[in-house]
Amino acid sequence: MSLKEPVLCKRIPTQPWGNPKDRKIITYDQYVKTGGYEALDKALGMEPAQIVDLVKDSQLRGRGGAGFPCGLKWTFLPEPDGGRRYLCVNADEAEPGTFKDRLLIDYDPHLVLEGIAIACYACQLDTAYFFIRGEYRHQAQVVENAIQEAYEKGIFGDKGLMGGKSKFKVECYLHRSAGAYICGEETGLIEAIEGKRAWPRIKPPFPAVEGLFGRPTIVNNVETLAALGPIVEQGAEWFKKMGCESSIKGPPSFGPKLMGVSGHVNTPGVYECDLGIPLSTLVNEYAGGMRGGKKFKGAIAGGISMGILGPDQFDAEMDFDIGKKYNVMGLGTACPTIFDEDTDMVAVARNIARFFKNESCGQCTPCREGAQWIYKLLCRIERGDATSKDLDLLLEIAGSMGIMPGTTICGLADGNNWAVRTIVNKYREEFEARVRPSCVAVGMTVGTS
Amino acid sequence: MAWIVKPSATQEIEKRKKPYVTDKMAKRFETQIIPRYEKKQGALMLILHEIQHEYGYIPHQAMIEVATLLDLHPGDVLDMCSFYEEFHTQPVGKYVIGVCQSIACEVCGHQAILDHIKNKLDIEPHETTDDGKFTLLAMECLGACEGAPCALVNDDRHDNLTIKQIDELIDNLPD
Repeated sequence: MSLKEPVLCKRIPTQPWGNPKDRKIITYDQYVKTGGYEALDKALGMEPAQIVDLVKDSQLRGRGGAGFPCGLKWTFLPEPDGGRRYLCVNADEAEPGTFKDRLLIDYDPHLVLEGIAIACYACQLDTAYFFIRGEYRHQAQVVENAIQEAYEKGIFGDKGLMGGKSKFKVECYLHRSAGAYICGEETGLIEAIEGKRAWPRIKPPFPAVEGLFGRPTIVNNVETLAALGPIVEQGAEWFKKMGCESSIKGPPSFGPKLMGVSGHVNTPGVYECDLGIPLSTLVNEYAGGMRGGKKFKGAIAGGISMGILGPDQFDAEMDFDIGKKYNVMGLGTACPTIFDEDTDMVAVARNIARFFKNESCGQCTPCREGAQWIYKLLCRIERGDATSKDLDLLLEIAGSMGIMPGTTICGLADGNNWAVRTIVNKYREEFEARVRPSCVAVGMTVGTS
Repeated sequence: MAWIVKPSATQEIEKRKKPYVTDKMAKRFETQIIPRYEKKQGALMLILHEIQHEYGYIPHQAMIEVATLLDLHPGDVLDMCSFYEEFHTQPVGKYVIGVCQSIACEVCGHQAILDHIKNKLDIEPHETTDDGKFTLLAMECLGACEGAPCALVNDDRHDNLTIKQIDELIDNLPD
């Protein structure tokens, strides 16, 4: 089960269709020559509601991590009331292990801009903010240039979309973030654009009703937007031929997906695959197999917050069912980090805990303090100073933080919670080997009774 | 997300006569950045980037000036500067070397790279060399996991680092 031809990577040479060494930035002219902006042209000939229906029919699910159906998200918007409505493009790709959006931004920014224009027209949003993370410095320049080009060619700007083909005007701006993981959370991102600390908001109200500057706002991932052009051009049925149905009677996972493989593999990189491809196929056929021929020990499902796939889950299918089937939180960004047999899983857990400790925004106490404690406990276990009681304490703290236990505003703590709990549960013997047994008091009577 | 603890009530702010936000800059902000946002405060992040680009860090006096420009309280601007890791409120070295320490880089051997730079420059992460040339940072994921271990040197990312490469890189940076 592999894609016949690249969809999102149509213009970006990617294995097995092209050599990554031939990659270069696609300019506006090259983009148009290869069929670019034709989808926007077609979309502008349709009614906005028709496009929303088309995206709903395609069952495109958000590519940012949660997998929420994109068309459904759009329908939460209220009717236009003459005021401003916003699109925020989430290019704050800060999840460790994730680097799929960077490929699109690096080489084919117009594909994303076309998606932005389509989304803005379909939902009648008048301003788009391309929110890019601070560490993507070169990429910010690429996007800035592409936006400039798009303005010059009349895609955005005063005349209306596509040089006046539609009277509907869209402005598109680049907004550079400054290094905070929490900006990837949609309401955190909105706060950051408003010029505040990226503290996630309590929901409801959801951003579609009351988002940026209190106005209706849609937040979509870069890859989700990039998929809009091909969907409009070739239809929902074509899109649904890729990917797979759910095997557990859940919502299906249709379409192509960019998957970024990193860690102990021979050729790490971003590959475009059908959703539902087994992890082992992804590693062996696309990423050149395990580095040094070593054995597979585990993999992070898709960004560290999703938890870990154990040694017996190498054949896990990479689709949106993965969470329920393999006891991880979900597919996330579908960018697995692969570990070989020599990897110290305690060190992996400690690294992940450090990340969440550093990136907790500090708004909710269970996350701010809990992340700190988890990190300290894992450092202690790694040093060999811990007792088995600490392991239970670790799991207890982890299990008590997040939206699911109901103690925090956003899902950052859930990421910490799942990552730590799945690692400890799936590699428990490794952790137990590092801790000393606790002294347990037993009620024993000494002497004769 | 560092929580900066300082005696803020008694702390004196260094001031100079010449404003950090020059008239030319203020005009550019007012015509090019502020109109992009419904509320003036939205422009804050981009303006802080510009100031840091100009001066290498964001001095407290500049925060007050930006606050005046955007009709904010200086505290709002400090709030932003202290929250986002990329904004420096103290001067940093001419070259900021940010070594990625997240999961893919750690399992691919970032520690050796980080230790080597620490020994070579004789500084710990988040310190600056005495000559003000280098600042070393341990950063979280740079989004280049296929090139682990990787590091940012100012605006350029370097992938698949080896000790030899990092030596060459640091030695060839002009003063």
